Amino acid sequence: MNISLTFGDAGIARLTFDRPNSSANLFDIATLEELDAHLATLESRRDLRGVVLVSTKAKIFIAGADLNSFTKNFTPEGLGQTVDLGHRIFTRLEQLPIPSVAAINGVCLGGGCELALACDWRVASLDKSTKIGLPETQLGILPAWGGSVRLPRLIGLPAALGIILAGKQLAAIPAQKAGLVDELAQPEYLLAAAEKFLARGKRPAPAPKGLFNSALARPLVAMKAKRDVLAKTQGHYPAPLQALKVCRAAYGRPLAEGLALERAAFLELAKTPACRSLMGIFFLQERAKKLKVPGVDGTGIKVRSLAVVGAGVMGAGIAQWSAARGYPVLLKDIAPEMLAKGLKAAEKIFRDAAKRRIFTEAEATAGLDRITPVATAVSLARVDLVIEAAVEKLELKQKIFRQLEQQAGSQTVLATNTSALSIDAIASGLADPGRVVGIHFFNPVHRMQLVEIVRGPRTSPAALDTALQFVKAIGKLPVLVKDSPGFLVNRILLPYMVESVRLFNEGCGIQQLDRLMLDFGMPMGPLRLSDEVGLDVAQHVALDLQQRLPQPVPINDTLEKMIARGWLGKKSGQGFYVFGPKKGAKEKPNGELGFLQTAGKGAGQDAATLLDRMVLVMINEAARCLEEGVVAAPEDVDFGMIFGTGWAPFRGGPLRHADTLGASEIVRRLERLATEVAPYFAPCERLRAMAHAQATFYPAT
Amino acid sequence: MKEPLYIVDGVRTPFAKMGTSLAGCDATELGRTAAAAVLTRTAFDPALIDEVIFGCVGNPADAANVSRVIALRAGVPESVPAITVSRNCASGFEAITQASDKAANGRGDIFLVGGAESMSNYPLLYNASAVKKYAALGKARTFGQKASALLAFRPADFAPRIALMLGLTDPVCGLGMGQTAELLARDWQLTRVMQDQFALQSHQRAEAAREKFQEEITAVYPRGGRDTAAVVSDNGVREGQTMEALGKLKAVFEKRGGTVTAGNASQITDGAVALIVMTEAGLKQTGLKPIGKLVGFAYAGCEPSRMGLGPVYAMAKAEKLTGFKLADADLIEINEAFAAQVLACRAAAASAEFGRRHLGRDAALGEIPEGKLNVNGGAIALGHPVGASGARLVLTALRELHRRGGKRAVVSLCIGGGQGGALWLETV
Repeated sequence: MNISLTFGDAGIARLTFDRPNSSANLFDIATLEELDAHLATLESRRDLRGVVLVSTKAKIFIAGADLNSFTKNFTPEGLGQTVDLGHRIFTRLEQLPIPSVAAINGVCLGGGCELALACDWRVASLDKSTKIGLPETQLGILPAWGGSVRLPRLIGLPAALGIILAGKQLAAIPAQKAGLVDELAQPEYLLAAAEKFLARGKRPAPAPKGLFNSALARPLVAMKAKRDVLAKTQGHYPAPLQALKVCRAAYGRPLAEGLALERAAFLELAKTPACRSLMGIFFLQERAKKLKVPGVDGTGIKVRSLAVVGAGVMGAGIAQWSAARGYPVLLKDIAPEMLAKGLKAAEKIFRDAAKRRIFTEAEATAGLDRITPVATAVSLARVDLVIEAAVEKLELKQKIFRQLEQQAGSQTVLATNTSALSIDAIASGLADPGRVVGIHFFNPVHRMQLVEIVRGPRTSPAALDTALQFVKAIGKLPVLVKDSPGFLVNRILLPYMVESVRLFNEGCGIQQLDRLMLDFGMPMGPLRLSDEVGLDVAQHVALDLQQRLPQPVPINDTLEKMIARGWLGKKSGQGFYVFGPKKGAKEKPNGELGFLQTAGKGAGQDAATLLDRMVLVMINEAARCLEEGVVAAPEDVDFGMIFGTGWAPFRGGPLRHADTLGASEIVRRLERLATEVAPYFAPCERLRAMAHAQATFYPAT
Repeated sequence: MKEPLYIVDGVRTPFAKMGTSLAGCDATELGRTAAAAVLTRTAFDPALIDEVIFGCVGNPADAANVSRVIALRAGVPESVPAITVSRNCASGFEAITQASDKAANGRGDIFLVGGAESMSNYPLLYNASAVKKYAALGKARTFGQKASALLAFRPADFAPRIALMLGLTDPVCGLGMGQTAELLARDWQLTRVMQDQFALQSHQRAEAAREKFQEEITAVYPRGGRDTAAVVSDNGVREGQTMEALGKLKAVFEKRGGTVTAGNASQITDGAVALIVMTEAGLKQTGLKPIGKLVGFAYAGCEPSRMGLGPVYAMAKAEKLTGFKLADADLIEINEAFAAQVLACRAAAASAEFGRRHLGRDAALGEIPEGKLNVNGGAIALGHPVGASGARLVLTALRELHRRGGKRAVVSLCIGGGQGGALWLETV
């Protein structure tokens, strides 16, 4: 029983959603059919004044459709039936003879939102958990249980496009401002407030919605929306464009026609690789949230407070993020001046978040208060976890860890945020090297969801589990990696950055290369990325990988020469690009770099070859990671690259992309590059074997 | 006292002149910084604290019971109660002695105490006439009413009352604090040169003690603004201060023949101090080692217009309660509200006549040797954040006792309104 129907004494019926053995309410076929049966009962009763739809879950009204169950039957017939079922039942709800009201407390997304849209009235709880929206386009589809038709009718075309095309989720107050809900109430008064609306009867037909919804203005609205979508997606994502078409075409037409348009578009989108990839990402995310390591689960300690050593960009970021999630943080550095910088950085993140209403001012202050700066040696006995984020120098880190061993309690887990050094080497001087684990955050910490959990050869289960549980508890997504050079993300990303520098060397244009990769779907071009990371940092990591990997991509002295001139990228104002002093000003390519360029091979190569040189080098390295057991599964590689670097999500990650290209095609192209350009392009054993066996990384679907 | 109160540890923020490096931090922020630092240093479970007691004279308008706000913001659990205390300039003493009284009554063993004051953030107040007119404006409903309420304002209505000046004026005798010091200078024939010399010595001693003070200071990291500087040291000490420079200053409080200047009076300053204090049971519970203990104290009242002599009255009363004589002290601290006032205390303590007439004694209270008095300088050099000074004196004196291998110190304050406070401390 997912839904129960009860009758109150004032002629008010109640549909209560309560999915058994689950913290969330979701729509699957069974739930839809239950709803259908209840609607039939409601139609047959003549003694009712109205019906209230409500959830018993603490922070969830209805979270949406159960993707797990729907993707099992991902055929046009199966999907078509599902769409039809939803259309029929939600329309039945809409056309009930009695008024209906959705009493929304908590998450009300996708199918849940479409259910609410089919009600006459919507009342939302002011609880913080309330989020209402249609995120379907983020999954490569569009709202297809009437949402693309009913939302524009309810709130007008421009406002509806704003929500549907961006997959936006609105809190209670903005939802009311947008017209998406009719009334707000404190959670305790939600039901009473909802029942009051039943006295108003059925909702009157929507009035015309003003200037921007007139037939004349619609093409303008649609044109602007399209421009915005293309600017954001570079045209790689068909879903928002389809949704735009459907919303516009259905607006002002009879319901049945609108629903038919919606259905056709949905089936069209479901076939696209982008949809498959985006759904895949959704599942990768769910997989990371549930990540468990056999033999480790439950061995760790629950972190109640932590210390962060080093108040640089990463240390401050980790401290800020942890404090924002309620953890008291000791922020340690050697001098107050360093701490002052770190605290200012954390303060800025908090203040910006407060400006964007993510926190109230009081919450931002409380978060900042949780960070206690210390420049002297203090006892860390009461701290459960220490995360070291000092400079990337092995001797220094070893010294810090020897001190930490003295200052911390015997149970305290000692973690390092190193992005390059070996966990085992860092732990080597300790009495118990088992307590050391890698927790590698990405920059900027408050934006990047991925965290690499690095298991050293001697890392204890307890240390690993503590790190894993902590990372989950602060809302980051973990990927478990082996203690190996560059771990996962840097290992794959660096050869690509190095290759882009070489191509520049060989005479390719800065913007030409970056444009190429933006068009491929990367969030930022590789040379622009080097500027962002800092040329000195990029060079440092590249050198480290070159020294420690058996088959590194060789580096040249280009970055070295730029660093010698003080060009470090964005932070120094000059790198491959020149960054103006004004914030938000568009950077221009650095015109003084000609001396670093010679007419090499790259200058004469076509775009496809250039793209191959940058993309296949990553795929080759990704396959090696799998070969060497850096991560356990291809899913880990793709997940890590998408969430750690923004790797073209619609392509599903480097290994999903490799499957799309086919192993034998990749091997053929890599071999050609190996003979025509340089030997380091030679495909790795894993790829050769796969090409030979016609195998794919993922099982064929 | 039935049982001593142990002082486990303490830290303070730098003391910064009004309107300078700490002006952007209100009393809450200063108190929070000191409290969080002392909790970090001692690293015991703050849930064990029985009460948080902070002294503050100018309680910030946006933090009624500032002690509670300091406690919560410093990470003390919500279940621990907090109270703000005010005994004007001795509020920092009051926090400690209240902890002692509470412990004696079985109302707790572990206390977070201290004082916090941001004199930079004392408000400007509307005068009574303006307040009345604003009230009328608030009640006005129609356009006509509003217009006439607005037109009632006169330029004089916007002349603010300065809370700081009001606070430094005794409402009973009508004298400003500086004027009470002038009175003592006249009573005890303390010349401008004598006062300036004392002030010079305070600066010289504080300058020499810079390193020592760093041991008790925790940095403050002001929020807001783009500046990322940490405030790490006191800024009131004038290095290379000279008699010539002091001599050039004009008397502030009395135009005719006045002797009290900005140079020989305490500075108006921002700062906070936090201490962890415990009974013996508290020490056992936490396993912490104390740096010293409070073994006796007294507050005494005196003439408001001669409030500067308060320490003498308090020390005399403390002697009755504890039996400790001035000669028993290795260190003596008299808060330097004014050079004239400290010098008057010395003279009064040494005067048999004063002892007979005002203290009900047969003889003088005792000599206060220069070598034991304010050995690291005082409020003339460091400043006097009124709510915090008392706690600083305790902290500074205990640390100095350790350095010197001394046993006992008496620390005292004069209190605006006509009181004195004196605390007897011992090393452990």
